[in-house]
Amino acid sequence: MHVAPKTKFGRVINEIEETLIAVILGLMTLVTFANVIARYVFNANILWALETTVFLFAWLVLIGASYCVKTRAHLGVDAVLNIVSPGTRRILTLLSVAACLVFSVLLLIGSWNYWAPFAALPMLDGTLKDQAWYEVNDIPMLGFLRFIEASMNEGEAYEKLPRFIPYAALPIGLLLLTFRFLQVAWQVITGETDTIIASHEAEELVEEAAAKAERED
Amino acid sequence: MGILFLFVMVIGFLLIGVPIAISLGLSSVIFLMVYSDSSLGSVAQTLFNAFAGHFTLLAIPFFILASTFMSTGGVARRIIRFAIACVGHFQGGLAIAGVFACMLFAALSGSSPATVVAIGTIVIAGMCQVGYTKDFAAGVICNAGTLGILIPPSIVMVVYASAVDVSVGRMFLAGVIPGLVAGLMLMVGIYIAAKVRGLPAQEWAGMREILVAARDAGWGLFLIFIILGGIYGGIFTPTEAAAVAAVYAFFIANFVYKDMGPLKGEGDHRHAFLSRPQSLITVFVHPDTKRSLLEAGKTTVMLLFIIANALILKHVLTEEQIPQTIAGAMLDAGFGPIMFLVIVNLILLIGGQFMEPSGLIVIVAPLVFPIAISLGIDPIHLGIIMVVNMEIGMITPPVGLNLFVTAGVAGMPMMRVVKAALPWLGILFIFLIMVTYIPWLSTFLPTTMMGPEIITK
Repeated sequence: MHVAPKTKFGRVINEIEETLIAVILGLMTLVTFANVIARYVFNANILWALETTVFLFAWLVLIGASYCVKTRAHLGVDAVLNIVSPGTRRILTLLSVAACLVFSVLLLIGSWNYWAPFAALPMLDGTLKDQAWYEVNDIPMLGFLRFIEASMNEGEAYEKLPRFIPYAALPIGLLLLTFRFLQVAWQVITGETDTIIASHEAEELVEEAAAKAERED
Repeated sequence: MGILFLFVMVIGFLLIGVPIAISLGLSSVIFLMVYSDSSLGSVAQTLFNAFAGHFTLLAIPFFILASTFMSTGGVARRIIRFAIACVGHFQGGLAIAGVFACMLFAALSGSSPATVVAIGTIVIAGMCQVGYTKDFAAGVICNAGTLGILIPPSIVMVVYASAVDVSVGRMFLAGVIPGLVAGLMLMVGIYIAAKVRGLPAQEWAGMREILVAARDAGWGLFLIFIILGGIYGGIFTPTEAAAVAAVYAFFIANFVYKDMGPLKGEGDHRHAFLSRPQSLITVFVHPDTKRSLLEAGKTTVMLLFIIANALILKHVLTEEQIPQTIAGAMLDAGFGPIMFLVIVNLILLIGGQFMEPSGLIVIVAPLVFPIAISLGIDPIHLGIIMVVNMEIGMITPPVGLNLFVTAGVAGMPMMRVVKAALPWLGILFIFLIMVTYIPWLSTFLPTTMMGPEIITK
């Protein structure tokens, strides 16, 4: 489904989301490619390349999942929805959105509880485990982030990037996902939309092909 | 009991229209909350580890990206021109060329629907013009398009390799012979049908046309050599090969074919590189580049979100020792390898009706893998059987993905496509039986080129 944001704010957000997805995927490709070049041309390995790509990958999917909710790109089975009456379809869609919300809220809680210790923040039940000194394996600490050492690591220097930074994809991604499902729920309730899924992965491609064929006729 | 509850939940959620990814994830979370004391935090950790702990899966976004760059109109057109030059002069030549083009395009792309869209949009219309019926054209392309996941590179194979820890390189090699055999069987079928119905042949365009078309299509087709040569030459890991392929495809699409990016002019006009050398920089911020990256990114997110949630479900199944239980039950029941493979075929054909192929493989592969190993079935062979089952699932109603895509591309109602695809589906069924009971087809190349498979239990 193609989305056309209605407000100026919506367009800005849409632009940010789309640029972010494109840039992350582009970076992943370039970093992996650069590592191959480094190995064969300069006979050196970029030590942090694989780990960086893996974290970018996690960011891409966890942040992108909410964008796919907005654009209805998540696959689902619509065989039943298509044969029931519009009223039943609406009820079933409401139930599905409810299920999606339960999922995203539960996972948001889990994400927070998993991530909070790495950021020295309390879990939702109030337990505080300070694991802010955990670092990633290969990616070196970035210079411009040094200022966080005072508050996060009791003033001690991080040698590698602290873990709470890449892992933040979890709570942020799930928060965005919850938000988008709330938005979809509202759209279903107000009758603005009656679908939350795509029936197959090539919907957009096929639409484009059909549109092109029509132009040529 | 609990496990039945788990699967009923998954199917229930799917049927009321919950996205596949969420159905898998939510069912697993509910199951864990009811039957075990694992925390939500550990589920979140599993979700994150889907990316941080599975380096093989990293190849998927790059293959998707390479395929997106290669799907910009021109590559398909060049491949089709080459295919027609080679086999167009046989009776039924255009249809045979369509199958050949699908096979070649499958070697650039790891996805079946992408193959149908790229080849189908051009070939179906072309066939109708020279006197084929639309049904014949659509049926052929719909079936040949499924080769996208059998001929390497293949996203479904990457997922299988990652799910059961076999080498991606082996899986890709194993797909080569079955892919060629399936393509040939379809071609022979078409040739016979053409003789019976008196379908038209194209004129023999001459050796020169073959060479010219080959050189033109060669830039794109070289991609498959980068991928396979790179992996088997030990130059790249599969993930790196995929990334190099993506960069290569980007370069070819922008600077050689100029189907997108700063050198693409109005209509058919193409700018010379020397007239715009700054394109080397501007290509990175060109809207076409961003559109391709976004397109590939969206597909990646959608697919990987399903796989990540399927991994949560897999985690639950393993923790509950389900694969071992099922394996024990099946072995006690005295199932031999043949009966077992029939059951696997059935599960996959039925499951394929509801689920996205990659997600289904993540769940089913770990369930059947231990049984297969104890029955002495080669893991690579099992993988190819699963892939061929997925292919057939794509063209069987009601939810066959390729049927939808062909219906859209050819502008035909769904039921007509189902009927049109049916005779060719028969050929693929025979092929499935061959692949299932002749392990040699799948295991010969990998064993010859990479040594015998070492199975660690």
